Amino acid sequence: MINFEHCIRCTICVENCPVFRVNPDFPGPKQAGPDAQRFRMEKEKSVDNWVLLCSQCKRCNMACPCGVDPAEIILQAQQRYGLQHPRTLAHLLFANNYYLSALGSLTAPVANKVASTKIGKKIFHAMGITTYIPFPKFSFKTMKSEKKKKSKAIKKVAFFYGCFINFYRPDIGRKIIRLLESFDVDVVLPEQWCCGLPALGNGNLAIARYFAQKNAASLSNYIDAGYDVIYTCTSCGLCLMHDYPGILEISLAKKITENTYDLHEYIIGLIDDGYIEPQFVEVKRKIVYHIPCHLRALGIGYPAAKIMAMIPGLEYEIFDDTCCGLNGSYGFKKTNEETAVQLGTRAVSLIKKTGAENIMADCGSCRMQLGGLSGMDALDPAEIICESLGITDEK
Amino acid sequence: MGVIQHDVIIIGAGVAGLTAGAILAEKGYNVALVAKGEPTACLSTGCIDICSLDHDPLHGVSHLPDEHPYHLVSRAVIRESIEKFKESMAQMGFSYIGSPETNRYVLSALGTFKTTCLVPSTMAAAPQDEKDDLHIITFSGLKDFYPSYITARRKNASFSTYDAGASTTMGLATNFEREDFLEKFISWLEKLNIREGKIAFPAVLGLESAGMITKKIEERLGRKVFEIPTIPPSMPGRRLFNALKDYFRKKGGMIYWSWPVSGVEKTKKIIEAVTSPSEGRPKSLNAKAFILASGSFVGGGLTARRDTIVENIFNLPVLVPGQRDNWFDSDYFSLNHGIGKAGIIVDSSFRPKEADWENVFVCGGIIAHTDVLKNGCGHGMALATGHAAAASCMGYIK
Ligand SMILES: Cc1cc2nc3c(=O)[nH]c(=O)nc-3n(C[C@H](O)[C@H](O)[C@H](O)COP(=O)(O)OP(=O)(O)OC[C@H]3O[C@@H](n4cnc5c(N)ncnc54)[C@H](O)[C@@H]3O)c2cc1C
Ligand code: SF4
Ligand code: SF4
Ligand code: SF4
Repeated sequence: MINFEHCIRCTICVENCPVFRVNPDFPGPKQAGPDAQRFRMEKEKSVDNWVLLCSQCKRCNMACPCGVDPAEIILQAQQRYGLQHPRTLAHLLFANNYYLSALGSLTAPVANKVASTKIGKKIFHAMGITTYIPFPKFSFKTMKSEKKKKSKAIKKVAFFYGCFINFYRPDIGRKIIRLLESFDVDVVLPEQWCCGLPALGNGNLAIARYFAQKNAASLSNYIDAGYDVIYTCTSCGLCLMHDYPGILEISLAKKITENTYDLHEYIIGLIDDGYIEPQFVEVKRKIVYHIPCHLRALGIGYPAAKIMAMIPGLEYEIFDDTCCGLNGSYGFKKTNEETAVQLGTRAVSLIKKTGAENIMADCGSCRMQLGGLSGMDALDPAEIICESLGITDEK
Repeated sequence: MGVIQHDVIIIGAGVAGLTAGAILAEKGYNVALVAKGEPTACLSTGCIDICSLDHDPLHGVSHLPDEHPYHLVSRAVIRESIEKFKESMAQMGFSYIGSPETNRYVLSALGTFKTTCLVPSTMAAAPQDEKDDLHIITFSGLKDFYPSYITARRKNASFSTYDAGASTTMGLATNFEREDFLEKFISWLEKLNIREGKIAFPAVLGLESAGMITKKIEERLGRKVFEIPTIPPSMPGRRLFNALKDYFRKKGGMIYWSWPVSGVEKTKKIIEAVTSPSEGRPKSLNAKAFILASGSFVGGGLTARRDTIVENIFNLPVLVPGQRDNWFDSDYFSLNHGIGKAGIIVDSSFRPKEADWENVFVCGGIIAHTDVLKNGCGHGMALATGHAAAASCMGYIK
């Protein structure tokens, strides 16, 4: 996995690093990755605390012509650093995003109030969490309370909906279920936990592995019963497909990766197989499709763009060079706030130049960032597909 | 599932692959392009070298050895590929100037002239002789750009340094995209009371809006302004790459990043699909035809082993320039390294010679006998062969 010796020092990765662009404290993927790797000794305590400034967007990996994967080298350095150094409260909280969110969800009205008051903001600040965009509103009725339904459809999927949909936007989750059901696909909601990515991003390998193992065991049961797994959050997707077999070394990973699909990749497959012939109705919108870094890293192309191309009237432009800066929990940390705001502002100013009315993105945290900073509506691709097919989240 | 039928798969996101892809997509073919990483265009000056052997590049082409791939493309197609390139870049807001009839110069960071043919509008005002007097602006902490190299060679040149709060080309370019930064910078420039006729900058004047930024400085200062290409990270190279990529997508092409091709599925004379490493479900993409534009050594299309050179995807026969001793000239800075000839020999249909494949076409830096350094023909050759390979491929799948 570590190919640092293949580096030819071309600096292409550096040009692609969003953090390096705006934060002079981060030495960039070449130095933090292959260059520093030469000096990292097993026996010595790690001192390179700046590795935590890497947002794990993976852009450096995608750019490197030599297959070096600087982001993986840095990810390992982050885990090492995490293991050897006590963490700030914010790191621990975000590593446990799932419990934080679950807590917020149970006490939603209270949590929302706290997060939006001055004192609440102070508390979040004291914990090292930034409040420059409204903290996600904790949503009361989570997806887990949705009932499993039976039908005779042949295609069966287990839906890995992810934390964002679960805690903040279960309405989108419900729409996706209705959408798949309208395609005669049987949808179940398997027992699931956070994919583990936030814990990994905070240098907490143990927590990440704990979640990953639980998820893998749960999803594996469904796969054995003939289900395909689908994800909609592309960061969850990258974690399942890339980190489970990779750094997390999950024993059931092969089975998971063989049977897991991006939602839109799955829908394209249904169309390709002739299983469905959706009749898309005109949607008159002009949108910018912001490609989440992790969708790009998945190496599956941009499946939702293929569906957008089938929707009459829809005008869309693809933006895949503008990291939104939030990167899940990364931008919520006080130390990264300025980086996140600068990158987000840049992305928004480029989006605004197009004259688009809406932003579309597969990842909830990108939508939160870009929607929050631009004041524009930021939609999930599934929302647009549902609009075109006349599907709502209510029965 | 997971396999979608395409008309054509292009391998490589360099000038050659993106050019061939845009032509096919424009004609309505279902085209996907897969890439392992970013191309050599990002390391380049962004200037389009067609052939530097003669002041008239098309005339220069006739001086090339018989086996040079330029001879497989008619002059009309070379011309067309240049016109089409200029047109598409203008559409993407990244205009080029120049014509295939005459070469021109750009000033290098060493103060020497580099011969090229088409230049981005931001380099249009570069001096073509020793006469122009210049004022050079540099930025505190910027590495690998020292105006004194230039002032040592040119009599009428002086320089000033600006502290921009960033010291990398990418950081500076990002700053220039901000209106408040640009305003502050221009008022600083105005106070310098520059007397020289032209103002020169390292090529950091923005990423998306370089043309507009250059124009704005020209208008406000009443002086001609031009950029000097830097060693990588090179902003003009990246602008070129971005514009080509966006143009390809605008024409309907789809790009798969993180998609290093590692294998093929084949029947007798036909490649059915290309595959990429995967931790789980096999990743494969099938198509009626494939265009190999994976570049030479830096791009990743060729790998040199101890005594031989291999093509990494289809394992095509490679022209190896003799024994390893002949690969490199003893002078490192020589333009005459044997290795420049290495690559895939193609026939007039741009199919690889001495290979079985009916539906594989080859273009760009991976072709044998190009000798890009020696002949000064990098991007221009990629444009011309990209056009020719796309045309040939269209003839096949029709
Ligand atoms: C440092 C440098 C500076 C240069 N400067 C100039 C200049 O100023 N002007 C000029 O005209 N020319 C210049 N050239 C030459 C010019 O860049 C190339 O000759 C020309 O652009 C040809 O590029 P290409 O499209 O064939 O391939 P490349 O640019 O090499 O691109 C190859 C593409 O293929 C991809 N690829 C490779 N293997 C695989 C695989 N297995 N699977 C998937 N994808 C793969 C790579 O990731 C890349 O995207 C320069 C070259 C270099 C190296
Ligand atoms: S993963 Fe992203 S933030 Fe980290 S070094 Fe690579 S490009 Fe930079
Ligand atoms: S892009 Fe790859 S080869 Fe180039 S400097 Fe970065 S890690 Fe090294
Ligand atoms: S990656 Fe997905 S599941 Fe994990 S925290 Fe983010 S939204 Fe939730």
